[in-house]
Amino acid sequence: MFRYIDCIDAGTEFCPCNLADTGECIICSQLRGKTFCDCLNWKGSCIFQEYYWNHNKSKKVREFAEYVVVDKKYIRDDLIKFDIQVNAHLARQLNSIGSYVFLKNPKSPEFFSTPISIMKSNLKNNQITVVVKIIGVKTKNLGLAGDKILLKGPYWNGIQGQVFLKGLKNSTLFIAARGVAAAPALMVAKKLKLKGNEIIVALDVGRHSENFAKKDFTDLGCKIIDVSMVDYSKYSLKEEFIKIIAELKKKYEFKVILSAGSDEFHELLLNHLYQFDNSLKFATVNNGIITCGEGVCGSCEAKLHNHLIKTCKQQYNPAELFIKPKGEV
Amino acid sequence: MRIIVIGGGWAGCAAALQAKKCGAEVLLIEKTDLLLGLGNVGGIIRNNGRFTAAEEMIALGGGDLFKIADNCARHKNVDFPGHKHATLYDVNRIEPEVRNYLYSKGVNVIFETRVVDVGTEGNRIKSIYLFDGTEIEGDVFVETTGSTGPIGNCLRYGQGCSMCILRCPSYGPRISISMRAGVEDIQGLRGDESFGAMSGSCKLVKETLSEDIQEKLNKDGVVVLPVPKEDINVEKLNMKVCQQYALKEFAENIVLLDTGHAKLMTSYYPLEKLRKIPGLEKAKFVDPYSGGKANSIRYLSMAPRENTMKVCGLDNLFVGGEKSGLFVGHTEAIVTGTLAGYNAVRAGLGLNLVELPITLAVGDIINHENEMKKSIEGLKLRYTFAGANYFERMKKLGLYTTNVEEIRNRVRSLMLEKFFETRII
Repeated sequence: MFRYIDCIDAGTEFCPCNLADTGECIICSQLRGKTFCDCLNWKGSCIFQEYYWNHNKSKKVREFAEYVVVDKKYIRDDLIKFDIQVNAHLARQLNSIGSYVFLKNPKSPEFFSTPISIMKSNLKNNQITVVVKIIGVKTKNLGLAGDKILLKGPYWNGIQGQVFLKGLKNSTLFIAARGVAAAPALMVAKKLKLKGNEIIVALDVGRHSENFAKKDFTDLGCKIIDVSMVDYSKYSLKEEFIKIIAELKKKYEFKVILSAGSDEFHELLLNHLYQFDNSLKFATVNNGIITCGEGVCGSCEAKLHNHLIKTCKQQYNPAELFIKPKGEV
Repeated sequence: MRIIVIGGGWAGCAAALQAKKCGAEVLLIEKTDLLLGLGNVGGIIRNNGRFTAAEEMIALGGGDLFKIADNCARHKNVDFPGHKHATLYDVNRIEPEVRNYLYSKGVNVIFETRVVDVGTEGNRIKSIYLFDGTEIEGDVFVETTGSTGPIGNCLRYGQGCSMCILRCPSYGPRISISMRAGVEDIQGLRGDESFGAMSGSCKLVKETLSEDIQEKLNKDGVVVLPVPKEDINVEKLNMKVCQQYALKEFAENIVLLDTGHAKLMTSYYPLEKLRKIPGLEKAKFVDPYSGGKANSIRYLSMAPRENTMKVCGLDNLFVGGEKSGLFVGHTEAIVTGTLAGYNAVRAGLGLNLVELPITLAVGDIINHENEMKKSIEGLKLRYTFAGANYFERMKKLGLYTTNVEEIRNRVRSLMLEKFFETRII
């Protein structure tokens, strides 16, 4: 049976990583204790060869560096937007679908670092924009940061199902975005606009009159629909949203969907759409509890077909994870 | 009935062609942009017992590809150390000829497409999966993916990637289809019981050789140059795939054959040393590009098979070429591939499968290799009509002859004339 396997770091300057040192490489069978090549997903470079040429050790890991916070603005009482001045190299690396970084208040210990998606990366002035939702210890602490911030990156696995997005050209993408998940969705919209795609964005109004990213989506030329998506009393999609999806599907005949919300929302949306058209391709924002970003700590692991997936760096097909055959809970 | 052939080397082309001749719908899937695989860098046919085998196949009606190779010959009836009456086909001309022939017969070919997995149902393969997850269903499958390891294997068992014709970095490594379907691979051994074997020859750009050598190559097809005494490396012969060329003469001499390029009959030869030989001062490798340093590693993935070429333990997977055993060479690939393609169609129709008679060299080698492979000693040998142990066996059994009429009579007396030309659907 075909297994979709991909490592977002394979073939990059960070590959081979610590996983190769410990015989746990996601892609290379030789670096997983086998003595025979069984490379399912070839990315154009041989990880085993890279490891050998690097004197049988992994490449240097990403490290924290201090950057300047150019602007810090409270969009809402629990939503902060940071503009951070980085260098040109990092800005370029973060200007891609799914990119995220670890951020930390310089005064706090290492374990306060938290993964945050990149909303925008401006290649003209080398500034990145992120939006942080304050939900717990780490994000509260980050909110206390002054004009300096520690940043570790780049990481790229903030979106799952990237293969479906990156291949989309002169077509239509449907994005359903809720809350702070609209930030990584904006990066997707920007990239896909450049490939001639039409982008339809359903934005959940949530507790406020409109989503914080609405203006940015509009500026990109996306078609925006404000809608209330979820009925919290029974945790299901609202009739109003279901009706809008049906109309949009008919009108735009989209084949690829980005679900930008919680895992519970992914499950609702993907199962709803899949029952009408099982040829649809799905991408989802990655809600894994990412702590190290290197596939080591295990906090982000998800189980799929009896295999553990390190979701901080391993790609999976969201349809396989979230779509449940009828009757299965 | 749909037959899917995975791997477009000589064996895959032969299997696809034969299945088509039998009347099936055929899809041939090749991972690179060229058919023939190592056939683009080989070029030697009809040397020693390969002459007999080629003529047997022609008499059996399965000789289409030999005729194409004959038509692309640069030299016929060439003798070189240990070898007689070789035909050297032009490796720069043959691929489009074969490609067009397959098209003209109605074989469907898709290029630059890597098969990475199979879908199974009990002991049957139901479908194959391409690199992007596309599923393609078929009735019977023929695997002719060879046994050459991708870069990782070339590194572990050899001296790293030498940038050979398989071009793994561009097109990705091969995958063992039979292993994906749950059948463990067999691996060949070297004399010291390490795995695999190193590919046995390289190509030099002819224009980089001295004018004398170029002239002699163009005229005679072969040039033999002595190796300086201090550089003779007899040890290297042990690691070679092509045991028919693992002769003392090949260590003490540089043997060049004209196959369009100048074929250098050694696994690898450091350029610095090569250029010490008069006439080769400006020599440059063209295949593999790093032929001074290394060569590809083979025999790391063979499927256990029956003499009908069906894989043991699976109902509808057949194998040919190196995937089917420790065979060396184009002739051997065409023979095993043709039988695999033929029996694939029979399997699809639910007919009993056939073996080639052991009174013909083409049947005997398939049978003999299967027997020999069961022992550790047998795994260290290679099997080819062209030399080493199997050619000795051919001579001993009286199978070797260059008398074409006699070969035809043998096939006729078995009532197998034009056997492979019969449409069975």
